[in-house]
Amino acid sequence: MTSVPAFVDYEFAVRRELCLCTASGSSRRVLLVPPLFDEMNRMRKMLVDVMHALELEDVGSYLPDLPGTNESLAAPEQITLSDWQRAIQACAQQHAISHVASFRGGALAVAAMPEASHWIFSPVKGATILRTMMRTRVAADREAGRNTSLAELTEEAAAGPIELAGNMLGPALFAQLNGADIPYMARQRIVRLASDSKPADGQIPGSALWLRAEPDDDPTLSTAIARDIAGWIGQ
Amino acid sequence: MNNKVDLTPEAAVRAVMRDILGLSEEQVAEFTAETELFGALPELDSMAVAGLLTELEDRLDIMIEDDEVDGELFETFGNLVAFAEMKVTE
Repeated sequence: MTSVPAFVDYEFAVRRELCLCTASGSSRRVLLVPPLFDEMNRMRKMLVDVMHALELEDVGSYLPDLPGTNESLAAPEQITLSDWQRAIQACAQQHAISHVASFRGGALAVAAMPEASHWIFSPVKGATILRTMMRTRVAADREAGRNTSLAELTEEAAAGPIELAGNMLGPALFAQLNGADIPYMARQRIVRLASDSKPADGQIPGSALWLRAEPDDDPTLSTAIARDIAGWIGQ
Repeated sequence: MNNKVDLTPEAAVRAVMRDILGLSEEQVAEFTAETELFGALPELDSMAVAGLLTELEDRLDIMIEDDEVDGELFETFGNLVAFAEMKVTE
């Protein structure tokens, strides 16, 4: 039996942001940094399953809302990547967490924490995320009878807030993401799916839920992630 | 770290289709050049197609331009594989 996750909060930029939390009494705790934009929605159920599975391994976990996403009241178009990096740092400090597990684009939000231990799942460059979002916008525009190109959208994004695949991105966030490479951490473990041929420190079974049309879960993947994280944290 | 294994274009397209549609290895192995894609597979909406193009770029280390993408490209599995093969030799 696992407990029902509770909402706690963390303070960032005079706001209280929410953070889903399980087993905060455990001495072993990990901060889960979610993927960005639509990938977050597609993987949230899977991440909550990871939290339950971590609890069975006696690891407490925290899943914060990045400012401007999910339940956050911060205006999305004013958020920058630096804000996300500082928010994750603030959340870890306020809840005394030294282990950070980031997922996909979430890995771009942990760059302000070089001193922490990092577990990183299938990291992705910011430019890759933006390219998919811009392509979605191009397809939506085409259905509406408008012809736009990736180059035009990139120009528009530099001039002011832009709507991409249902998200408002300000010029600073767009520019920072566009240049954001996967960070290299002194203490890191990169984990990928068994089907992924890119370099990794570990591979686990499961499916690429972030590529699906609809949110889904994958008990094989969530259990494998929790076991790998618990082994990585150690006793 | 494991060494990167180079994928053939066809294997890459098959793997991406499997990931996007949530199919098993066996199901995606049944795809032939004539297998219809866009319009025949409801999961393959415009957002999934956007992800598919970016994944192919990433896995095959290619760049796909706006004007190379048209409806014909996604008509069949064979069209997509032929396109991927053409791109990696560019």
